[in-house]
Amino acid sequence: MIFGLLILHVAVCVLLAATSRRLGRSGLLVGAVPPAVTAVWAATRLGDHQPVSADVAWVPGLDLAMTFRVDAFVDIMTLIVSGIGFGVFVYAYGYFAPGADGIGRFAATLLAFSTAMLGLVWADSVWSLFVFWELTSVTSFLLIGHKNTDKQAQVAARQALMITAGGGLVLLAGLLLVTRSAGTTLISEMLPVDGATATLGAVLVMVGAATKSAQVPFHPWLPSAMIAPTPVSAYLHSATMVKAGVVLVAVMGPALGGLPAWKACGLAFGVASIFWGAIGALRHRDAKLVLAWGTVSQLGMLITLFSVGTAKAVLAAVTLLVAHALFKGALFLVVGEIDVRAGTRNIDELGGLARSMPIACTVAVLAGLSMAGAPPLLGFVAKEAAIKAALALEGPEAWIVGFGVIAGSVLTVAYTARFLVTVFGAGPETALAPRRHALSVPAAVLGLAGLVGYAALGPLNGVLGSAARLAGAAEVSDLHRWPGLTLDLGISAIVLALGASLGLVLSRRLGHVPAEYGARWADASIEATMTFGRATSARLQHGSLPVYLVTMAGTAALAALPFLGYVSFDHVVAWDTPLQAVLAVTVIGAALALSFVGTRLAAGLALGAAGIAVAAVFVVHGAADLALTQLLVEAAIVVGFVLAFGHLSRSFPRVGLRWRAVRMTVAGLGGAAVVVGLAAASRSPVAEPPLSEMATASVDEGGGSNIVNVILTDIRALDTLGEVLVLATVALGVLALARASDRPEGSAS
Amino acid sequence: MIDGHAPIIRLGIRAASPFATVLGCYLLFAGHNNPGGGFAAGLVFGAVLALRTIAGFLRPTYGITLVAAGVFIVAGVALLPLLWGDLLFDQQVLSFELPLLGKIKTGSALLFDVGVAAIVVGTVMAVLDGLGAAEFATDPPPAPDHGEQE
Repeated sequence: MIFGLLILHVAVCVLLAATSRRLGRSGLLVGAVPPAVTAVWAATRLGDHQPVSADVAWVPGLDLAMTFRVDAFVDIMTLIVSGIGFGVFVYAYGYFAPGADGIGRFAATLLAFSTAMLGLVWADSVWSLFVFWELTSVTSFLLIGHKNTDKQAQVAARQALMITAGGGLVLLAGLLLVTRSAGTTLISEMLPVDGATATLGAVLVMVGAATKSAQVPFHPWLPSAMIAPTPVSAYLHSATMVKAGVVLVAVMGPALGGLPAWKACGLAFGVASIFWGAIGALRHRDAKLVLAWGTVSQLGMLITLFSVGTAKAVLAAVTLLVAHALFKGALFLVVGEIDVRAGTRNIDELGGLARSMPIACTVAVLAGLSMAGAPPLLGFVAKEAAIKAALALEGPEAWIVGFGVIAGSVLTVAYTARFLVTVFGAGPETALAPRRHALSVPAAVLGLAGLVGYAALGPLNGVLGSAARLAGAAEVSDLHRWPGLTLDLGISAIVLALGASLGLVLSRRLGHVPAEYGARWADASIEATMTFGRATSARLQHGSLPVYLVTMAGTAALAALPFLGYVSFDHVVAWDTPLQAVLAVTVIGAALALSFVGTRLAAGLALGAAGIAVAAVFVVHGAADLALTQLLVEAAIVVGFVLAFGHLSRSFPRVGLRWRAVRMTVAGLGGAAVVVGLAAASRSPVAEPPLSEMATASVDEGGGSNIVNVILTDIRALDTLGEVLVLATVALGVLALARASDRPEGSAS
Repeated sequence: MIDGHAPIIRLGIRAASPFATVLGCYLLFAGHNNPGGGFAAGLVFGAVLALRTIAGFLRPTYGITLVAAGVFIVAGVALLPLLWGDLLFDQQVLSFELPLLGKIKTGSALLFDVGVAAIVVGTVMAVLDGLGAAEFATDPPPAPDHGEQE
């Protein structure tokens, strides 16, 4: 079933990409089908305690496999990814105008993201997880940059890619270390680890998670990403992709939770983000940015609770995960509807929407109350559970988490109140475009889901409880619809009262325009990376072929230095047959001639002589395949020469004596390096060459008697695949270069 | 360079190219048991195409399409076995009797070689295109081209 669903996603994705122009906007409805099917599948599995798994061995020799596993926790994530995905596809159908640019491309990319995200949450092998992790970064880059001619969108997309994909590399390093100390690459089989390697690995994994989940100080990409179309913001940048880091912390919790560094790192990222995100949400006046900064804050809360790792904290985190996906998704969709219908999302310019958009207003109030943690909504249950989890802790941890959760909740209530009052409250009446059902229905469903979740807490309890158990909690306490007159209810009431009054006060004081100072370091570091890249390529790629060759030969000479100690000439014989000596003299003579001739034609001839003599050496050794290939390459080079001569002068340009000496020396050293390498390699054969073994395997398994070819196409086919892909890349590069040089100066970008 | 003023070379290239094409096909099919293989075959086809380009018989235009087709073929040979539960690149050997030729034994390795050859030919054509070889085809091709590409 798991592979069936993935294949369905990929197939529809390919279909959408192939027919993007013809389908237009209805492509979005086609794209909604695979998420719908997956969501139904996940919904039928809710409460099922038996995990399903599927795997396909990839390269067993390297322990590479695609391994997927869906347990109760992953099932909830699946429902979020696919359920909200379905809603977002429908919403996007209403969001875009019928003839808008690149809708087909958008639908295909959005579905590709959906596929990658499912792969990410289903992955059990850390390598599958990493691959899908980076795929979500790439698709997110494409979706943020959807308006690909918009300079601002380009910058935002690049920033998001550099932070999240860069974080992915940190994650890869962390996973390598963690799997090394855990002794397995399957997340479900990892036992608690300890030791220095595991600690370093855990910290790197946490940093990777923090980049993806936009934790301070890696957060600036998330507010910038709000340039993307609203369906993308609602789907990727609030409900799903930014949760990838949280999910990673959740599933790695059981194995890494015992390491103090893991918890310390998680709390540092989490608590800092709770506050910085909430402050950002209070500063901004673009309704979408308010929500984005709120997401940073809420993700901080999730990371905090998952890294605490107690049963209560994990249960609270799982509940908040669900509640957040519902209320934040609904709020984004409402803001998108306002944006489409009013033409602005600046809270200063919006007014009177409570009267003119009653449904959107109701949905926003429901979702907002859930975000603020007011009853009777799922957000209230989550916040109660979080406060209870914080109160149950001991020592300094209790103070940090308690402060983060409670003060963070106050700020959350404040920015929610400010958001609702300024967007829907009194003000100059905003002119609106007509209503579109595809826009309002998905938002309403998500908004109501928070209410339904609260009402159906009984059955939901079991589902969330078993999910929390799998995400690391040992025994799970139940969630409560109404906690009774306890300390945490009192704290909740104070939080609501304080937050609401703070929010109302701040909603009136809007004269202060916030500066984007949070993003400054990110801009600076990305700018520095680009400058470094430009400087490096200017130094290395200066376009002079002789310098490239000198660099390569010089590097080869340096690389041979460590082998100098192993050189021995015991196995070296002068020649097997005198013919080899004749051929060697020919090659040497041709090479020397090549260095001294003045015309290009003569150089071509000398090069050809050397090449053919080398082919003859292969023949003498009985390597027919090598000789054949060498001869054919020589023939191809001749044709290349014929073509190139038309563009070049007859003789080589004159060069200075000193530069000539440098080139000669480096060439000589490069040749010496090859001799050193060969002499060192021939000294100590550590094992019998596997020739007879390969000969048998080649006939029995490869079905051919030419070992060389069977090695290329079967035994080491993976290597060949890599090589031909390099060749294909070269072909693309050659064409790109040719096209670039065809273009007139200035229009080349 | 080699235009209407060099009829002998043009005629020579025209005469030689069918033979070279047959040689390339031989290398492609014989590669599994005798010297040859996809890379060598691709080079022969590439040389034929390059010569015909120089002689002005065709324009090098389909390079990237060929490369893409080749990449799809090799990726397919690599990935398809996963679908029926085998390992990456698992070799499928087919052997059957044909009336005149006797027992034929072939397999997915041949398909892989075809993909490699397509990539090599495509790269050669892309390089020709990049070197501005299209300018040789100043006059319309005297004869339609067929069959050389694989």
